[in-house]
Amino acid sequence: MKRLLVVLCGAAIAFSAPAAPAPATGAVLVMNSNDATLSVIDLASRRELRRIPVLREPHHVALTPDGRDLLVGDTVGNELIDLDPNTFEVRRRLPVADPYQLGFSPDAKYLVVNGLARAQVDVYDAATYQLVKRFRLASMPSHMAFSPDAATVYVSLQGTGKLAAIDLQHLTVRWTAEVGPAPAGVLWQNGRVLVAIMGSDDVAVVDPADGRVERRIRTGKGAHQLFRSPDKKLIYVNNRIAGTAVALDAATLEPVRTYKLPGGPDDIEFAPDGHLWFTLRFVNKVAVLDPATGEYTTIEVGRSPHGIFLNPHASVR
Amino acid sequence: MTAPFDFAAGWLQENLLLPLLYSLDLMQWEDISFGWALFAVYGAAQVAVTYAICVPLERWRPVERWPDRRAVAVDVLYTLISRIGLLPLITFVLFYKLQVALNGFLTDHGWVPPTLERLVPDLLGQQVLTFFLYVLILDFADYWRHRLSHIFAWWYALHAVHHAQRQMTFWSDDRNHLLDDIFSFCWFTCIALLIGIPPMQFPLLVLLLRLLESLSHANTRVSFGWLGERLLISPRFHRAHHAVTAAGEQSVNYGAILPWWDMLFHTADFSRDFARTGDPTAEEALASGGYLAQQWVGLRRMLRDLVGGKAVTK
Repeated sequence: MKRLLVVLCGAAIAFSAPAAPAPATGAVLVMNSNDATLSVIDLASRRELRRIPVLREPHHVALTPDGRDLLVGDTVGNELIDLDPNTFEVRRRLPVADPYQLGFSPDAKYLVVNGLARAQVDVYDAATYQLVKRFRLASMPSHMAFSPDAATVYVSLQGTGKLAAIDLQHLTVRWTAEVGPAPAGVLWQNGRVLVAIMGSDDVAVVDPADGRVERRIRTGKGAHQLFRSPDKKLIYVNNRIAGTAVALDAATLEPVRTYKLPGGPDDIEFAPDGHLWFTLRFVNKVAVLDPATGEYTTIEVGRSPHGIFLNPHASVR
Repeated sequence: MTAPFDFAAGWLQENLLLPLLYSLDLMQWEDISFGWALFAVYGAAQVAVTYAICVPLERWRPVERWPDRRAVAVDVLYTLISRIGLLPLITFVLFYKLQVALNGFLTDHGWVPPTLERLVPDLLGQQVLTFFLYVLILDFADYWRHRLSHIFAWWYALHAVHHAQRQMTFWSDDRNHLLDDIFSFCWFTCIALLIGIPPMQFPLLVLLLRLLESLSHANTRVSFGWLGERLLISPRFHRAHHAVTAAGEQSVNYGAILPWWDMLFHTADFSRDFARTGDPTAEEALASGGYLAQQWVGLRRMLRDLVGGKAVTK
């Protein structure tokens, strides 16, 4: 038993009692990956309202193309949790192997699921959630981005320093190409694929035709994730080791501002009031940043918060 | 209450582990390293709490007094390796990869490894209850793993490392052959494929259970009374398992946390008082040798039993 307990002691914060429910307009859902819970935060008061228990390890989230369902992937639990995006009530649970990163193709035809631990990329029918094709890709497929025409999904392979282009029309791997050590976040931008290189300090600008790296933009050590601002003018890059978020001009890709944000910045959501909501993996908090001043406040959530979803129209209790 | 530990793990990850992984070109393991950081921090906390409780007890009512405690020092090393260093690394690299490979293989063949909560949906959200159900089931599984390690001679050759200690203290809990630990991981991996493993939200409960296990090895005249000893395993109850007369296949009291399995399968012995510990059949190196000597002798003994065809001792 003692050795079993060693296994168990990956250890997380003790289960905390949910806060008293409060009426709210607008809410944020945070995936506490080492806590087996989802935090529900009231957008206006920035107060955690409750925690939704899940099986094991929730990481990322995707809204269905029709906006009616919110899917959260529980990797170790091998489960997709289907929630109402307006109330965050759990509707159903679907058994799915290792759903780490999720994304719907722009034509709403496919749901692509990266299984990071199992080195697999699964393509599901978006309407029925039936598996259409499984790609074995070495190794650690982590993030993804689609071409706007839905013809290709680009997947970073964190374990082998590569980017894979999967042809979604013929369901074949078009190419894999070396992009840099431990690639993570992927974003389609102006006809190019941007890849955050976590084992380095840059974002690789990749030619989507063949995977050739055209240039590199230095952002900070441990470049991890990229997000485009709602007005499409900026791209934010989170740097794990540097503990920064860097805003790039979306047109030129030149850095325009650096925000100090220690604690392992990961995913971002954009609030209607202009604030940016970051998950901070290593300090169990969400940071709400005012990009105008660079100042931020934090909200306590569960252990190792990862994915985040913000719905300004949600009404949760 | 766990915030200081989480803060320490986060600090370790951000300021030491990530820069190290970055410099070694191993950033793909950054998620795993955070798990290890948490593991190490809580492991250190376990050692500190266990030390703070068990040392006063051992000084207050020792079963034995030894003028020379050098044999205890190696057990300290075992504990540090097990709870803070090497074993967590094995857990997060070997165990992780093994489980992923097995899970993937089974899933490809139509078997999604279940969890207790999926088998009993009402448990979802009842996290403390679920945790204790897992503890109950896994303690039962561990009873049989432990008992089998005494039945098979080749397995006991490894497990004798644990039993050879004549100066048993709370440090002896983690005194195990590395291969024996790996067998345990495989054992629990199989169990995990059947019912999953519990969620990891309860480090303080795990800490408490580990304290109980260390306490059960303590060199102290502490018993939990007639009823208490039938609810939880005490130092007196577990010492009978380590008695010189109970080494090898003749042992009793195999349980780790709950004595119920010993009671159910008629291996419980509540009658023995605080006996001398050790294994008279074991080579001296297993009792008083250094860490590497014990590992080598245990391995050699196991190979000898396997090659000699002495598969079962009785």
